[in-house]
Amino acid sequence: MLFLSQCINGLQLGSIYALVALGYSMVYGIIRLLNFAHGDVIMIGAYIALLTIGAGVNPALAVVLTILGCVFISVLIERVAYRPLRSAPRISLLITAIGISLLLQNLAQLLFSANTRPYPGAAIIPTKALRLGALSLSLSTIVTILVSVGAMTALHLLIQKTRIGKAMRAVSEDTGAAQLMGIDINKVISVTFAIGAALAGMGSVLFCCRYPIVNPNIGSMLGLKAFVAAVLGGIGSIPGAVVGGFAIGFAEVLVTALGFSAWTDAVVFVILIVVLLFKPAGLLGRGVAEKV
Amino acid sequence: MKHYRQIPFFLRYIINAAVLVGFLLLGNGILSSGVMNRAQSSVVLQIGIYVLLAVSLNVATGYLGQLPLGHAGFMAIGAYTAALIWKALPGKSPAVIVLGLIAGGLLSAVFGILIGVPALRLKGDYLAIVTLGFGEIIRVLIINLPGITGGTPGLMSIPKHSSFLVVYITVIVSCVLIHTLMKSRHGRAILAIRENEIAAEASGVNTTFYKVLAFTVSAFFAGVAGGLYAGYTGILTPGNFTFMTSINILVMVVLGGLGSMAGSIIAASILTALPLALQSFNKYRMVIYALLLIVVMIFKPSGLLGRYDFSLSRILEKIINGQLFKKSQKAGEEHA
Amino acid sequence: MKNVNSNMVPLDGLGIIPERDAGTPPILDIRHLCVDFGGLRAVDDFTLLIGKTEIAGLIGPNGAGKTTVFNLLTNVYKPTEGHILLNGQDTRGKSMHQLNQLGIARTFQNIRLFSGMTVEDNVKVGMSHGYSDSVLSAMLRLPSWWRTERRQHIRALELLDLFNLADKANTLAGNLPYGDQRRLEIVRALASEPKLLLLDEPAAGMNPSETQGLMENIRMLRDEFNIAIMLIEHDMSLVMGICEGIAVLNYGKIIAKGTPKEIQSNPVVIEAYLGEEAVK
Repeated sequence: MLFLSQCINGLQLGSIYALVALGYSMVYGIIRLLNFAHGDVIMIGAYIALLTIGAGVNPALAVVLTILGCVFISVLIERVAYRPLRSAPRISLLITAIGISLLLQNLAQLLFSANTRPYPGAAIIPTKALRLGALSLSLSTIVTILVSVGAMTALHLLIQKTRIGKAMRAVSEDTGAAQLMGIDINKVISVTFAIGAALAGMGSVLFCCRYPIVNPNIGSMLGLKAFVAAVLGGIGSIPGAVVGGFAIGFAEVLVTALGFSAWTDAVVFVILIVVLLFKPAGLLGRGVAEKV
Repeated sequence: MKHYRQIPFFLRYIINAAVLVGFLLLGNGILSSGVMNRAQSSVVLQIGIYVLLAVSLNVATGYLGQLPLGHAGFMAIGAYTAALIWKALPGKSPAVIVLGLIAGGLLSAVFGILIGVPALRLKGDYLAIVTLGFGEIIRVLIINLPGITGGTPGLMSIPKHSSFLVVYITVIVSCVLIHTLMKSRHGRAILAIRENEIAAEASGVNTTFYKVLAFTVSAFFAGVAGGLYAGYTGILTPGNFTFMTSINILVMVVLGGLGSMAGSIIAASILTALPLALQSFNKYRMVIYALLLIVVMIFKPSGLLGRYDFSLSRILEKIINGQLFKKSQKAGEEHA
Repeated sequence: MKNVNSNMVPLDGLGIIPERDAGTPPILDIRHLCVDFGGLRAVDDFTLLIGKTEIAGLIGPNGAGKTTVFNLLTNVYKPTEGHILLNGQDTRGKSMHQLNQLGIARTFQNIRLFSGMTVEDNVKVGMSHGYSDSVLSAMLRLPSWWRTERRQHIRALELLDLFNLADKANTLAGNLPYGDQRRLEIVRALASEPKLLLLDEPAAGMNPSETQGLMENIRMLRDEFNIAIMLIEHDMSLVMGICEGIAVLNYGKIIAKGTPKEIQSNPVVIEAYLGEEAVK
């Protein structure tokens, strides 16, 4: 029974990682940028929920505002900071992304102080437990898993069945050719950032319901691990991000269950390095050769 | 056309050496005379340490063109190694001090090879994330091996060996060694990889070897700087070596100009001294750093000095040829 | 002009090489080379011999797979089938820089100079083997560093002088005019003392008088350095003017091999080119 409840635990954590990892993977797939600021957008989302609920806003509306806020900030970042650098060397783009991440963290620190505050998770998802025989499941676990699976299915349908999804696939395959075919690259990139950020917004709410604390740094570790998940699964690959997310979630729960909770962060990175050593393109990714 | 007079090599060496020795004597005189208060003289030492950290990161970032994000990890390895050696060996003899610094650098270089060989097979972004992961692993190791490292509370009562002369002689020697490396066929191979990796490989450059070499040299000097840091603070905690430390060093290199040693030195000096000069600025320091990074990347991606490298002899040559204020036709030219 | 207009003679029934090279084994012996890209056969059954001091041409319409052949020869791509003998040595499994040491140097269709480095340094990077000064001796400026630097400096200026680039030694390569950049790439390739020089569209973007100069340069290289040169080129006056053996590639397959005269009158070649010529 302990084993089963740990599995469900891993499933919950894994689905949060997967949601966040999708944002990394989609953005990387489309503009080959490791968007360091993605994790910090999640942190901003957490503050939005905290402040709006604190101001008496209906929790359901607060969740919507969180997601919209994340989308707004992400699209704004792409517009202001990444777009001018689209043809610049990759290292410039990467340093800019690091700069944005730093900026968000430190602005949050200036505006909201560095103190850790409690997150009103209970207002969003009531702390109830369901009993299934000897197994006890919290409501937040069930909601997390259902929402994640729903969001991933919706994303899959969007990418495979819709026009914009087709355009996104085309841009990620060959930006130049897509442009020649009349696809509005800027719009597709904005939409990609928006979708990634919407998933991050959901991830923000679900993550904070599980660990109900907020400070300016909560996004960076979550972001890093989700990024590791994306790389592990094969960056640019949507199913890869999901597989990677669950793999990291389960690994972390396993390490903690074995009594090595102080080592979880190190284990996550060791997994990353080992995978990249033997399968540089990740579990489901494909290598791309440079044209000579 | 009049012949351009050049200063012979041996004379250049004498001039440069004289300037550096003069700087050391002057600095040491000022510090030991007590003109500066405690805080000021400690900033002078910090500047030296951060200059070496920035110059060493510049080898991997500016010259090789990769983006490692775990420089604090290499610094930590050097710092703890030197600290443990100094704690074990009593005395303040130069041999002990040098032993600690070099051992720190070497162990750091070994880790540089261990992490570099797999990481450098990967493309740029992956390298960034693997080195970032490496930095985190080192930090977790430090926290979880309290028997050796003192754990979270830290490693205490490390002999404070980092006097002005120790810091600045080390920094100058390191910078000179990096400079001479870059002005050799090995250095040119490293630069060629940054410029065009495929063309470098096709021209016969063993790119794997030179990438690992640049990475290892970068790690070695970061380790040495870590040793200086240990001898300066006297106490090491894992909190000294976070991701933010790596980012701080990166900001210095980027602002100074990727690939410019002079730029790294100037940026490291200014960014280390500034918080002391402007106490109220401290609250906004990180926000300003972040904005600087973004603005510089968008408007002047080559950094403040670009790839310019300062050369005293070149300026002297211009003076003796009466061309100081004429714009050089050979822009970007570099002398040995 | 000792080498020009040598007769072409058959070798082992596989191809033709210049008569003067008949006594020595061919520098390049390519047999049945094939490469697939995701189910598409980009190069198919490519067999070719190149004599020790031959100037060979590889021509064909755009997209025929010419650059792919160069990439196979320099191990940028791994062949699916077939093998390549360079000076009798199998090149399989060698890395690009090892192949350079074995004697292949190349230029690129889309120029790949080290544009942030000086012209002289570009050439010095090409001198990648035959020097033994260690990293440590460079850092400490030991005598071996001084020797290497002096040797490389003198050699670089000699090579640059061949292409009238010596007075631009201190210019940044990226600031050179286009034609100079193409020629600098050739000098850089020469610096590694190749036995076989691969030139990918060396005359692209050059005007007729520059092309004329380039033709003389290429002949001079072969005569001075006694090396084989294989070039891809669309400028037919250059190809027909200096190449001794020519292979025509279309859809990844060799459709004709022979001397310039034979190629010019070959109906298959004319047909393959007709579409292109008609558009012009």
